[in-house]
Amino acid sequence: MIPQFRPLLAATAALLISLGRADLPDYPAMLEERLASVVAVEFAIEHEMDRTVNFAFGLVIDQAGTVILESGAISDRATPDQLVDFKVYRPGEPSTQYSRAEYIGQDGYTTWHFIRVAPEGRHRLRPITDFAAADPARLPRMAEPVWGIGLRQKDEDFEPYFLQSRISMIQRLPQLTGIALQGVAGRGCPVFNAAGEFVGIGASGFGQRMMIYSQRRRGEMSVLLNPDEAAGFRLASEVLSAVGRIPTNPFGRPLPWFGIDGIDPVTPEVAEFLGLGSAAGLVVSEVLPGSPAETGGLLPRDIIIAIDGRPLPRLKPDQVVAAHLMREILKRQPGDVISFTILREQLELELPVELGDAPKTPQESERRYFEDLGVTVRETVFSDVVARREDPSVLSGVIVHFVKPSSPVDTAGVQGDDWVKEINGTPVESYAQALELLEEAERSGRPELVLLVSRGGETAVMRAKIDS
Amino acid sequence: MTRLGLGGLALLIGAGTLAGETSRGFRQLLDAVVRIDVREYAYEAGAKRFQSGVGSGVIVSADGLILTNAHVVGPRAVEINVTLANLERVSAELVGWDHWTDLALLRLDPDEIARKDHQFAVARFGVSTRLEPGETVYAVGTPHGLTRTVTRGIISNPRRFFADSRGVKGYETGQFNTWLQTDAAINPGNSGGPLVTANGRIVGINSRGYSGADNLGFAIPSATAKQVMEGLARHGKITRSYVGIVPGALRDLEEFYELELNRGMLINSVDPGSPAAEAGLRGGDILLAIDGVPVDGRFPEQLPPIKHLIASRPLGSELIFSIKRSDTTQDYRLVTEELVSRVGDESVVEVWGLSIREVSRPYARENQLPNEDGVLVIGVQRGFPAAVAGLSTGDVITKINDRPIRTIIDVVQAAENYQEAPQQVLVEARRKFRVSLYVLKP
Repeated sequence: MIPQFRPLLAATAALLISLGRADLPDYPAMLEERLASVVAVEFAIEHEMDRTVNFAFGLVIDQAGTVILESGAISDRATPDQLVDFKVYRPGEPSTQYSRAEYIGQDGYTTWHFIRVAPEGRHRLRPITDFAAADPARLPRMAEPVWGIGLRQKDEDFEPYFLQSRISMIQRLPQLTGIALQGVAGRGCPVFNAAGEFVGIGASGFGQRMMIYSQRRRGEMSVLLNPDEAAGFRLASEVLSAVGRIPTNPFGRPLPWFGIDGIDPVTPEVAEFLGLGSAAGLVVSEVLPGSPAETGGLLPRDIIIAIDGRPLPRLKPDQVVAAHLMREILKRQPGDVISFTILREQLELELPVELGDAPKTPQESERRYFEDLGVTVRETVFSDVVARREDPSVLSGVIVHFVKPSSPVDTAGVQGDDWVKEINGTPVESYAQALELLEEAERSGRPELVLLVSRGGETAVMRAKIDS
Repeated sequence: MTRLGLGGLALLIGAGTLAGETSRGFRQLLDAVVRIDVREYAYEAGAKRFQSGVGSGVIVSADGLILTNAHVVGPRAVEINVTLANLERVSAELVGWDHWTDLALLRLDPDEIARKDHQFAVARFGVSTRLEPGETVYAVGTPHGLTRTVTRGIISNPRRFFADSRGVKGYETGQFNTWLQTDAAINPGNSGGPLVTANGRIVGINSRGYSGADNLGFAIPSATAKQVMEGLARHGKITRSYVGIVPGALRDLEEFYELELNRGMLINSVDPGSPAAEAGLRGGDILLAIDGVPVDGRFPEQLPPIKHLIASRPLGSELIFSIKRSDTTQDYRLVTEELVSRVGDESVVEVWGLSIREVSRPYARENQLPNEDGVLVIGVQRGFPAAVAGLSTGDVITKINDRPIRTIIDVVQAAENYQEAPQQVLVEARRKFRVSLYVLKP
């Protein structure tokens, strides 16, 4: 019986193969060519006591060896000074071969991190712009097939592999984001359409709610996230805008500043109650002292309903509207004027606000580690004081950035983020003065260091016994 | 050899049975210990709910006053039943409570006592200040509902310091007194029962045990209990003065502050807006004397008496604090205010499924709120308008429609208006420092 069917099976198989050849794009060749835009990046973060090694995947965006990394690739707490030893690997090549790279900075608007590969490592790289579609602003369509590149870990030489899926939906979060049916690219790796045109960059897993049944647990709801492969990807237009936004300094300055805090989107029910119809609104919880928003006349509890005459879009989930406002501000420059339409006591007001220059951020603040004491302090900046509910026009004291475990300062009870107000009985007026006082404490041979520390609005005297 | 053996025998007899005077005193005490069954309400999760509990108590006066714990009977009790030693049941009412010392005072219903001619004994107080570590003590009470259970142990520490900011039904406790620590078994239900010496004299009111630890029990010393009892019997409550300082022990800091030993108390922090802050005090100051009387706060165990000293001054009285700051010593005048709990008055708006609490001064301070305005949400009922709109525990309601909300009465009134003519209501609330709007729908 069976031999009779053989010719038929063979014929079917031949038909399938020929069909495949005719219709399937040559994915292996396309992947091989586009791999020149993808790199694996290794870098270290130097801490007070140790260093951690980190890995991320990056996309080449120009001929000058500039590579972008997603914002989550580098910890928010790490300062540019702490980022060292950047190594760039080409996927699939022996991991003993790599090029050096340097950290350029982070762009406030796109939140990408930028690094630049050393000249000797650039010649085999190709910018992703080489594969851009004729019209990068065109959105991929629902159900359109897309494919992307994934990379294995370092012990497998970052070997590339092929992923494929279809577009499930397109969302504004507020960045234009494609959601695929399943993982379609490694995080930071590119996504293409069937024609090989660049359509996006793998951003994150798409959380799927699942019930887990096991012998121990019955039907527990969990969210599954794939840490290696992203089903959500930023669309090409978001990525290509990075090309023109390479920071000239590590902090991406100039950074525009508006100066409001606690931006809370109103729910559709509240919007309807307030007569906003289908438009969105944002409640301003706080207007920071001395900020452009304050100068421009905004008050706490104002509801922002339009920017430059354009009503706030109704983005989902509600929280995205707040992110949209922040992006509207961040894409501008200090000195630019934005006109806000606000609702105050049922009245509509138009308030033009000239954006300022953002105050120094905690990341930018200067810091120093005192090894004998076991503490890193950093200068107090505007947002530190705002977060502690005090008057930010006075930036006194220093902030505890790090406490070495079992060190004198740790034993005394000092914790990270404590606000040191006095050192050995002397009120701390400035960062420089704090350094002097701590240096003296280390040098003087005094048996103790006494700090007046503020935490959660309450102060306490803490005494560190210093070994001599 | 013989004498030693006899001594050992005598000791055994002494510990095994209570002889003569001792035995009479102890029996009298047993006849004064009662079981207390309480039914009380709570405004949890947006509804008024009832719950019941069992504790112990001890009769301390011929007219039927009973000492127990504040965490056994509080102001929300709707029904208090006392089981006397002769197993008769009598109802009782709350005379007053004081969560700071975890004490409450009840009175047996005099009419019921007279009508049924109930007999009971009255316990007598011992002297808690003279207790020595190692001294034998007995705990009497109703552990796990087992009426009239006696357990034996020793005084493990006669002066234990601890404070718990939520220790008594969410209220603060333990700032103004030290505690007796004992290894006599204290279990749930022992609360409010007496800790006594072999002759049956009350030296403490059993209050709590360390959960998860063996034989670490705590009792309020009778010296404190007697004072609080008198205050509660006279005024129904204990009024304490507040100046707004957070004291700390000076131990190890004497040299730094150039102080002679056993002199002064550290002020760790000064509450913003408090009498101490108004007077100009700040964290890191050293309090040397109050009204010229030297203060010694070298060790943590010494702080409760100092706090008690300040608290026991009449409201509005002027205190002179001698303060050392760097090299100078200066007098500051403080006018005391009334000490209030972080836990404010509570209510429930059942039509919205919303339990609410007054924002107290300490709550506003702890949470760095700009003022005491607004009403705190302490619970919402699922499926009711407040929960559906998105309000949740911890939110502070600041406005309903156009009306600013200052007290729970404002919310209750708004709810009454709503009930008369149900229509959508706009609520403004703060969650931490974020202002949000909610619409409550009929």
